[in-house]
Amino acid sequence: MSLSVLVADDSKLSRRSVIRSLPQDLEYDITEATNGQEAINSLSESEFALILLDLTMPEVDGVGVLEFLHARPNMPNVIVISADFQPEKQKIVMSLGAKRFLRKPLDKEELAMALFELGYL
Amino acid sequence: MSIVLPLDEEQRDALQELLNISMGQAANSLAQLIETKIDISIPKISAVTPTQLYSLLFETEDAFYTRQSFLGDVHGEVMSVLSQAGLSEVATLMDYDEPLSKEDIQEIILELCNILAGACLAGLSEQLELTTNLNMPTLFLPDKANFDELQWQHSLVMEVQFVIAISSFSMRVVFCLDDESLARMKNTLDELLA
Repeated sequence: MSLSVLVADDSKLSRRSVIRSLPQDLEYDITEATNGQEAINSLSESEFALILLDLTMPEVDGVGVLEFLHARPNMPNVIVISADFQPEKQKIVMSLGAKRFLRKPLDKEELAMALFELGYL
Repeated sequence: MSIVLPLDEEQRDALQELLNISMGQAANSLAQLIETKIDISIPKISAVTPTQLYSLLFETEDAFYTRQSFLGDVHGEVMSVLSQAGLSEVATLMDYDEPLSKEDIQEIILELCNILAGACLAGLSEQLELTTNLNMPTLFLPDKANFDELQWQHSLVMEVQFVIAISSFSMRVVFCLDDESLARMKNTLDELLA
């Protein structure tokens, strides 16, 4: 069965980079969102097992998406992938229930490790 | 005179994202050093003539200016504008004692350039898989006449700004690239977008 993944990032380059970095061992059913509002729309319509979330996005930012998810039951696994990884940001994100905080540029190994630790691999 | 940006929208967005990531890395290394939050602007990318570059950089008064050239797969120049305001607060965070001597100030400016501008260029080059070597920064006083002689007649300018939240200090970093380097960078951007 393929893993349903939502990749939310306003940059096409970063979405490509995230998708390319996903380990080949699994099959994925990928939905892309180009801003936080699109992500929230997708999350309202479908269930996702995993969300790969950027923080700095127009409309609604990544923190807004986390707040939306945090307020609902059964929060899916969220891995935040952000260029802004100052300690203060990490604290906010983790307090809103994100499972991991990864830095951009995304390291393939780090993503694989996170997926392993979350039980996907 | 305005110049058409030599990048299409996707390439511009991609470059903006790469700059954003590089700035994040640069800001984080300074934030750790001075244990203070640093805000970063959304990078601006434009094409300018030397005269426009001059006004872009030097509209600010009460500032220090540095420049440093870089060579390698792409070449160009990095210019930084550091506000005089708030510099002494940053110096305190960097463990300098008041009052600051002229040498202290110079050292702090060059250090900030190395940390922010240097890290930013290094991050950008790394992501584009290009090799660049950045020369040491030097302080300089802008002179309009010299700008007209710059080798980049239609330079691509990437402008980023760092603001230290608890002081009034800010720093702008402008990267100028020549045409040949631009072509090279565009190829790499296209590969990353494919």
